[in-house]
Amino acid sequence: QFVPKTDNQSDLEGPHRNAGPWLCSICSQQNDTSCMSCEVCGVLRDLSLYFNNTNEPEGGAKRRNKHSGVSVLARSLFTPSSPKSKAIVFSDGFRGNKNATGHMQASLGTLHKTFMTHKQRHNIVPFKFDIPSPDDMVSIGLKSSRHLRKADTSVPCVDIPGKMVMGDDDLVAEKDTSTDPSSSVKLDELGGNSSSVAANTRNETLILDNELQHLSLERKPKNSKAKIKKPVPVSQYKPEPWMLQGEDQEMPRQLNLAIVGHVDSGKSTLCGRLLHALGRISKKQMHKNEKEAKEKGKGSFAYAWAMDESADERARGITMNVGVAYFDTKNYQVVMLDSPGHKDFVPNMISGVTQADAAVLVVDASLGSFESGMGVNGVGQTKEHSQLIRSFGVENLIVAVNKMDSVEYSAERFNYVKSQLGIFLRSCGYKESAITWVPLSAMENENLVTAASDTRLSSWFHGTCLLEAIDSSAAPHRDVSKPLRLPICDVISSHVLGQVAVCGKVVCGAIRSDSKVLVMPSGELATVKIIERDSSRLSSARAGDNIAIGLQGIDPIHVMSGGVLCHPDYPVSVASSLELKILVLDITVPILPGLQFELHAHHAKVSASLVRIVSLLDQKTGKASARKPRMLTARQAAVVEVRLEREVCVEEFGTLKALGRAFLRSQGSTVAVGVVTRVVQVQG
Amino acid sequence: MKLVGKSLARDGPGSVKLLPEVDDDLWDAYNLIAAGDSVEAVTVRKITRSGGRDSERVKLTLEVAVESTDYDKDGSVLRVRGKNLSKNEHVQIGQYHTLEIELRRPFLLRKEAWDWPALDTIRKSCDETAANADLAVLLMQEGLAHLFLVGRSVTATRARVEVPIPRKHGSGAVAAYDTALKDFFQRVLAAFVHHVDFGLVQCVVIASPGFTKDQFRDYMLLEATRRGELRAITEHKARFVLAPAPSGYPHSLKDVLAAPSVMSLIKDTRAAQEVPALQEFYAMIAKDSARACYGPKHVEVAHERLAIQTLLLTDTWFRNPDVAARRKCVDLAESVKKVGGNVRVFSSMHVSGNQLEQLTGIAAVLRFPMPDLDDIEM
Repeated sequence: QFVPKTDNQSDLEGPHRNAGPWLCSICSQQNDTSCMSCEVCGVLRDLSLYFNNTNEPEGGAKRRNKHSGVSVLARSLFTPSSPKSKAIVFSDGFRGNKNATGHMQASLGTLHKTFMTHKQRHNIVPFKFDIPSPDDMVSIGLKSSRHLRKADTSVPCVDIPGKMVMGDDDLVAEKDTSTDPSSSVKLDELGGNSSSVAANTRNETLILDNELQHLSLERKPKNSKAKIKKPVPVSQYKPEPWMLQGEDQEMPRQLNLAIVGHVDSGKSTLCGRLLHALGRISKKQMHKNEKEAKEKGKGSFAYAWAMDESADERARGITMNVGVAYFDTKNYQVVMLDSPGHKDFVPNMISGVTQADAAVLVVDASLGSFESGMGVNGVGQTKEHSQLIRSFGVENLIVAVNKMDSVEYSAERFNYVKSQLGIFLRSCGYKESAITWVPLSAMENENLVTAASDTRLSSWFHGTCLLEAIDSSAAPHRDVSKPLRLPICDVISSHVLGQVAVCGKVVCGAIRSDSKVLVMPSGELATVKIIERDSSRLSSARAGDNIAIGLQGIDPIHVMSGGVLCHPDYPVSVASSLELKILVLDITVPILPGLQFELHAHHAKVSASLVRIVSLLDQKTGKASARKPRMLTARQAAVVEVRLEREVCVEEFGTLKALGRAFLRSQGSTVAVGVVTRVVQVQG
Repeated sequence: MKLVGKSLARDGPGSVKLLPEVDDDLWDAYNLIAAGDSVEAVTVRKITRSGGRDSERVKLTLEVAVESTDYDKDGSVLRVRGKNLSKNEHVQIGQYHTLEIELRRPFLLRKEAWDWPALDTIRKSCDETAANADLAVLLMQEGLAHLFLVGRSVTATRARVEVPIPRKHGSGAVAAYDTALKDFFQRVLAAFVHHVDFGLVQCVVIASPGFTKDQFRDYMLLEATRRGELRAITEHKARFVLAPAPSGYPHSLKDVLAAPSVMSLIKDTRAAQEVPALQEFYAMIAKDSARACYGPKHVEVAHERLAIQTLLLTDTWFRNPDVAARRKCVDLAESVKKVGGNVRVFSSMHVSGNQLEQLTGIAAVLRFPMPDLDDIEM
């Protein structure tokens, strides 16, 4: 009956090489080589077959494949979080990493620095603070910061309470707590937490109770979101030296430039022309596009195809999704966002273009087209886009009057367009001086990157060409003094960036590789591995930069577009109910309570409904009316309360403008634009 | 629903025996059964014996005095909870029991007073001639899809698929976009195949803004020819209809149902009557806001002046556990009818009824303008 153990093992590894009887791994029955499975218990001889078998029928369950060979222990140790739980994980790696690299994780703020002095790595430091009162312990138990204990070393590791937990009061209440005494209370709580062995016996038992969770270095709080409470008032945030230095770096500053306009006004062609003229498209590529476009009988689309790459967009000849391209001018590195003009794709346009610093509004000068863009019947997208762009916070607008060739470069037509559109733009709130008017022809390459050459145009137009106009845009304001906020525009995966990577513009603060970020609204931590800008590697990025970030240590399901990457200590607020101050656009059907609409805020889209109209605001004085109005009609301003189907990350407009804007769309058109005045209820 | 037996007096006491046949009937039953009624049905109860050591499941017929009801639209389950009324060797009188009303199992409903909405519900529910066109609506936008089954009085969300679709980022990224889109379509198709049974579903509407619907239909038909197990799709190709939609979110369903091409498919169903009725209300409020009102207070004031032409209300009002409030609502509807107005009761399980419910659940189109409504506090 004796079978050498090695034999058995090699059986498992490679049964086909092995002659002689094999030992069943379950019931230790000796089986004949000819049997594929054990005669007694039916277990397959080659255990790896089990995994293969599970792989094939469950093609979709990739997750399982990935782990199939890994032991449960290993998985729980190396995967920072189970996909099911939403608990935040402060992996030990965070702390170890920090100590190893030696540099003080400045991202933890002053409060933590004080804290750090009290403890050494892998040492239990009894805290000087009193043992928390029973109340404290309960609140710890409920809200609970994490307990970091190395499961394998059994040395309790003192936790840096990266995110301190507090009640989820309004921001107003938060401000009150910024005084010293209350922060010492926080320390008190935290002290109780971090000396998890010494002081807090209740927590200790909790840990022991749940060995498995313990192993996976996490404790599921009762409420999955409990840890993501507003921990420290944002006012306490102090940017770190590395964030501020290198402001005037060698890298040219980035300008996020949105190209907007009515469908078929030539946005993509204009982009393609610009890229071509600036040498960003290779001759070979251009030749290929031209040839393919001709074959399809769409010769005029050759330049647009530089932006519209998907087969569907090409076949239909319209842009459907926001395209991104890069080029350099004297002052800026421009990130060009080519938006779709078609009415059905306005949601794509909103979510793709909210990051714009400046915009080019392309209008079609040819007879009839300009008029349809202005919405002779229904709302034209020239109007809708310029309203949207204005409410994204873009103040400077370049109006590119395209297709001037079709009207013989007529100065009259240009002036007509200018006067008609000018009236409307002023009514949207653009300042006269902030609008630059550029007549051009993208097809004939007139007045794009060099001054006009056609005498019909140069005879009367002496202004700047488009490229100069872009180059002379006012520099976007950058706010590095606030904690990091990066709304996720896209979630991608690539060879360079890794499995989970996100794209977006840093709204405020700064980010650098190897730093920790908190992914909201899921509340998971991740490590920044790679930062890329236009396919070139960066070590850090600051507010205003449009970057792609490769993340590590997080499951892809926690990262969604519409989420926000933020500083671990200063999470963005998450809301499912909001108070908005809105301006109703030109609508025909009045807005009643109960209106169901899509709410767009930065890159997030969510279905929402209007709970109630709080008050009507007077257009001139801005004062609230005494009575609750029955309904809202076009061009009224009001304060409303909305409920969201799912929680989104927003900030009050007063705190952070970029995350405090909202767009309300219903039945395929934008019905109102607004700002968040109050996060009514933080999900907790 | 099938009416098996009936012995009742209008506005008086009595009982009916009903046999639910399709999922929608459970919803009707839910609307019929109110707290205070009694329901008798065959049920199974776990009986413990000899000090709780042995237990046995016993099939019984029990009658309970209803205290609460519970309906789950996605699972199509109706539960009725109350105290036992029938004398029985296993269950004492007064013990709590929860009956589960099941399809193809008759139940007896006893009420103290049969008011007209209840009778109306029975009449409508038992109307054999009413079209029972089951419609599946696949509402999509790039990266988000909802699958609805629209029945006579219930719209059930069967599936929701959400996949992040990245933008185009320079060269090569188009591949990522295509992969993401294909993955999305694959999941939608899987959900579709899982939930749509062509034996029941007469018609499938694929709706989306832009071209997602066309792309998906092409993908689906291609897959169907490629994969043998999807032959049903190829066979029922003619049952697919494409329709435009403003977005892929659930509330856009009402815009899809209002589209003429879809409207013709569902013209006999309750949803088809509700959608235009609500549209009429919104059209009126856009045209002359003084000729439409909403909210219980305003509607009541309007009714006092006999101004109501069409009264719109959701069935939630008739389900009010507060008998007095229910009575008031029934009376209001009754008297509106008496003075020549129309009353439209919306199923709150349909998308338009849901919208009305958000708008306080009660609204009215008026015969003449009442501009002073603005001055009355809501």
